[in-house]
Amino acid sequence: MIDLLLDALVYSNLLVLLSISLTLTILTLKVSNFAHGDLAIVGVYGAYTFMVILGISTYFSIPFAFLFGGLYALATYLLVYGPMRRRGANFVMLMIASMAVDISTRSLLHMYADFMKSQLKVYSRGFIFDDISLDITGFKLQGIIFFSSLSVILLLLFLYILLMKTKFGIAMRAAIENPDLAEILGINVEKVYSFSWFLAGGFAGVAGFFLPFRIPTSPDLGFIILLSIFAASILGGVNSLAGAVVGGYIVGFSEILGTYLLSQPPINLNTAYRPAIPFTLLILTLMLMPKGLASLWSKGE
Amino acid sequence: MIDLLRLIIDIATIYSIFLILASSMELEYGELGIPNFGKVMFFATGAFTVGALAVRLGVFLANIIWRGEFKTKSIYYSTLVTNYFASHPLQAITVFLVTLILAVLFGAILGVIASYPAIRLREDYLAITLIATGELFRVIGRNYEPLVGGTLGVGIPDILAWLPGRTREISFLLLSTSLAIVIWLILLRLSTSPFGRTLRAIRDNEIAADALGKDIVKIRMKVLAIGSAMAAVAGVIYAYYMGTVHADDFSPLKTFLVVLMVVLGGRGNPYGTLVGVGIYIVLDRVLTLLKHYIYLPFDINYFTTFTFGVILILVLMYRPQGILPEKPLLTVRKTEK
Repeated sequence: MIDLLLDALVYSNLLVLLSISLTLTILTLKVSNFAHGDLAIVGVYGAYTFMVILGISTYFSIPFAFLFGGLYALATYLLVYGPMRRRGANFVMLMIASMAVDISTRSLLHMYADFMKSQLKVYSRGFIFDDISLDITGFKLQGIIFFSSLSVILLLLFLYILLMKTKFGIAMRAAIENPDLAEILGINVEKVYSFSWFLAGGFAGVAGFFLPFRIPTSPDLGFIILLSIFAASILGGVNSLAGAVVGGYIVGFSEILGTYLLSQPPINLNTAYRPAIPFTLLILTLMLMPKGLASLWSKGE
Repeated sequence: MIDLLRLIIDIATIYSIFLILASSMELEYGELGIPNFGKVMFFATGAFTVGALAVRLGVFLANIIWRGEFKTKSIYYSTLVTNYFASHPLQAITVFLVTLILAVLFGAILGVIASYPAIRLREDYLAITLIATGELFRVIGRNYEPLVGGTLGVGIPDILAWLPGRTREISFLLLSTSLAIVIWLILLRLSTSPFGRTLRAIRDNEIAADALGKDIVKIRMKVLAIGSAMAAVAGVIYAYYMGTVHADDFSPLKTFLVVLMVVLGGRGNPYGTLVGVGIYIVLDRVLTLLKHYIYLPFDINYFTTFTFGVILILVLMYRPQGILPEKPLLTVRKTEK
């Protein structure tokens, strides 16, 4: 039972990072980014590559995951979404564009996986990372539990300080709140948005880094987890970063615990129905409480 | 020579299937502005109907007794039924018509259900909801074996087994193309009729259309029912053409491809749909043929999908109206008084 809860914690940590970063991109561009899950996979492939080439220990490659996820997100912003926004594309067009980005990204990752297999001679699909065991004052703990929780805490703290305490963060919030007004006040909205996308991609990359510890990772995994990310973000109220955190934990825990409970004697459902849980949560939230959990504590609009 | 015929049949059938799907997307998204990104679900509805019923109906009509599980035995029984159909054309046609009618019915019902969120949600949330529902559909199809045999897939009897040799393939081609043409003509007719103008009015300004007394809820429901029934027909053809149905075949990528075709051809223009589907099919075939001539360190299929993604992005950025943009409405020429 403890193992199950820890599993759920790891998965939820991952979802929290992803839903936070999805919310960040939705806040800036109002685009429901269907390529978001792929950013995580770009991050993990980047980290994996450097892990193999440099021969470094697993957890030291986290910065590479951040960097690759961030740079890829930045590239999609600068090449696709930014120019489209300036041309006045509406959000449906941006959404379709993000689907196109998703298709391209996944095929690129597949091509890269083929390339990696032939050049680096390693498993490039369905690979897993070996975990290390930490010994904290005689208490054995899997590395992933410690590091994923630590990443969530540090990155959230970083985001909080950035947004609330620094001048750049205030500019970011202003640019999100009202881009036109912010521009008049001399804020370089383009720069701020680019940075937000880099940050969002970095968060997603770090989240992706934790995937291969639990799930065999392949290029298509990003799309498979995408709807769980959306479920978390939408449950949290889409436009609320705090909501994304709460949503991530709720979806993560209900996905893992729910799958376990449903597969137990009275119901005996196949565990392959697991994706049904986030999908149902997503659909129910949109139908019953479209403003999400954030509507419980914020009285906006 | 024979290979060429085979190639033509293949291309034309795939073209027909995608033309039907694109027509239904064009009707819903191009004309009415509902981005139905659960399209693959309605496509799957048609295919699943055939997958679940064709063998069972055939076995029933042929008076064969079914032994063993559905998932392991469906392919075996589908060959038995095919042999039976070889001498019983009437029964074969009955099975085809029954599955087609049921698929259309199921598609329309699901479309009406899908209109419930379509009326209430903003476009992007609607898209997510429909994608999620479609994925749920696929997950059920993959895991609930009595439906379409789970991961093993299901066998489908050949409904034209009573025709000799080559005529079988040609007849199937005629069947699929004529269905596609009929559906495209329905789209054209709807698009140029007063009904089509109402759809565009709703798309462009919902409040104004509402103020002019158009029942938006009812019209959306109608369009989604028609569009979904169309997609189900495509699913039926696909299932009979492939001779098997695998739940995992119905991934959201199919929907994206259909969106690509509609956007590429030009939203709001039925002729654009014809062109968009054509370009996709040609590109797909050319890139597949290239596979035999050039060496790449990766599978060319990924390169093909990558190219489509990039083309779609470029079209969205530089020519969002598509190759054949929407034309001004056809109106009666003003006559001198």
